[in-house]
Amino acid sequence: MSETRKAGGPQQLRRIGWAFLPIVVTAAFLAVLPPVWFGDSPYTTSLAVQALVFASYGVGFNLIFGSTNQLFLCVGALAGVGGYGAGILANESSLPMAAGVVVGTASAAIVGGTLSWIAVRRSLGIIFTGIVTLVFSLGFANLLLGQRDLTGSETGLIVDGVPADLADDSVGGYYLFAGLLVAFLIVFRALQLSHVGWAFRALHDDEVAAELAGVNVSRYRIYAAIVGSAMIGLTGALLAYSAGFISPATYSFDRVDVRVLVMVAFGGLGTLLGPVIGAGVFAVLDEQLSASLELREVLYGVFVITIFLFFRRGVVQAFVSLFDRFVRPGRRTPPNLQSSRE
Amino acid sequence: MRAVVLDGIVLGLAFGLLGVGMTLVYGLGGVINLAYGQIVIAAAIVASLVIERGESQAVAAGVGVLAAVGLSVLLDLTLMRPVYRQHGEERTLLGLLLTLGAAFVIGGLLAWRYPAGALYIFVGGDPISVIGVPMSVGSIWASATALAVAAVLLVFFGATTFGRGVRSVIQDETGARLVGINPSFVRTVIFALSGALAGVVAIAQSMTGPLTVNAGFELTTFALIVTVVGGLGSVAGAFLAGLLLGVVNALSAHYIGQYITTIVLLGAAALTILIRPRGLLGR
Repeated sequence: MSETRKAGGPQQLRRIGWAFLPIVVTAAFLAVLPPVWFGDSPYTTSLAVQALVFASYGVGFNLIFGSTNQLFLCVGALAGVGGYGAGILANESSLPMAAGVVVGTASAAIVGGTLSWIAVRRSLGIIFTGIVTLVFSLGFANLLLGQRDLTGSETGLIVDGVPADLADDSVGGYYLFAGLLVAFLIVFRALQLSHVGWAFRALHDDEVAAELAGVNVSRYRIYAAIVGSAMIGLTGALLAYSAGFISPATYSFDRVDVRVLVMVAFGGLGTLLGPVIGAGVFAVLDEQLSASLELREVLYGVFVITIFLFFRRGVVQAFVSLFDRFVRPGRRTPPNLQSSRE
Repeated sequence: MRAVVLDGIVLGLAFGLLGVGMTLVYGLGGVINLAYGQIVIAAAIVASLVIERGESQAVAAGVGVLAAVGLSVLLDLTLMRPVYRQHGEERTLLGLLLTLGAAFVIGGLLAWRYPAGALYIFVGGDPISVIGVPMSVGSIWASATALAVAAVLLVFFGATTFGRGVRSVIQDETGARLVGINPSFVRTVIFALSGALAGVVAIAQSMTGPLTVNAGFELTTFALIVTVVGGLGSVAGAFLAGLLLGVVNALSAHYIGQYITTIVLLGAAALTILIRPRGLLGR
């Protein structure tokens, strides 16, 4: 848990500096990746963009589930609300891309906030929240399939007015999503450092105790859902413009939600870099297993089982604990803002 | 209209059977088995392989059901052990995630090994007229099977000592332990029963139409909806909800269209959770 020093001044600043260091390192790493590795290959670039998109979804999901225990099984649907919101607006009107992105993001935030509000008002537990959001996901997918005139059904929707230099297999697209991810990470960490973060940690560890200590659990849950859903919706909307084509499969439950859940759980629920590490590892794995979709599914299943049986706090966290135990015994860790799953 | 309602009842009985297998496991240990649909598919694939080898359909059906029982018990003895060491919501969540993983493993392996796998049991004979509507013999067999299973379950839970033991564990795990019932053994038996039901669903479904290797997720979804609407843990509720949703599904598919129908069913589940979280007949 975090240190409770309230000294202020330079110490406070140093604490904040430490807290943002991982983001700076990540940003630097993402920035140098294209020139040293795949600058000229559209295929590799599109894979990297894919990983960045999933990492961004992961940060949003992590904020909702990892921080406030709301099992939102509708990441794909929220991204779809953003993506289809933006795409349909772009096709049906002559408004610029920015307007579409804003509308898509706002719709996702409203939908996510409403789902959370319902869950909080009816005091649904983790499981019922999961079922209601799963039902929403499946309903949304059927809505997309049914509204053929607007969404193009299975054949998909071609999004007009796509800027060529932001295409999802160009370096421009790569930097767009890398920037997005870094921005999300900054928001995530800033929330953790603020009083909101304290509330998140309190309600995550023990809801009743948090409520008794004066934390408005319902309100913070809804906040987390709105911000997280906005992140997911924004990513989905930008993806629609960047890819220039979306279909129900782009945002389907089995393509998006399962992956996001596995990735975030692999990296560590509630941790800052968990989604990023998970997305990176699974991008490489997917590439290796691209021959057989079915075997990839089997592997995902094995991963889910292994992670939740043996690494409840994420594989990364397990390595960090090992490192702490053997390499630097007795030394206090820098501000550890990672919440536990226990 | 009558034909549509009858179709709905045939479908509803299948839904009910599907829901019972899931609701029993939930009622007993608080585990929502997301691999349920994949177990149904595994039974279907095994039965279809046995038929390919030239055995009779009855033998194939038996082997299919046994395979589902085996798979279910295997799941209980391996993955479910650590789940049952947890309590309350933590237990349900872990069970949900582990069975989701198991669903991917089973579904992926089946789709990889038998990409075109499907089971279709053809029951010969002329259509039989039921209240003036000609029904295929397969549909009647499927419905009769569901009704028979419902009757057997009713007797089992109402009149046998072991059935009462199961109900006691559902009501109060600690209390059941105090009067000498071993919850872990009861759970294994219920998992086996749930597997048998999955096998029966596979056989009954394949009499009305082919059951393909990719249907697992859809079956799980239907089972989940039926279970939630009927009340998690209630056997009679699952059958009632199955019938209700089956008729709604048939009517809505006939008059409105398939996509909207799915949304209607999903909406029914969502509304049930919001308005009456314990379901139609839940405790």
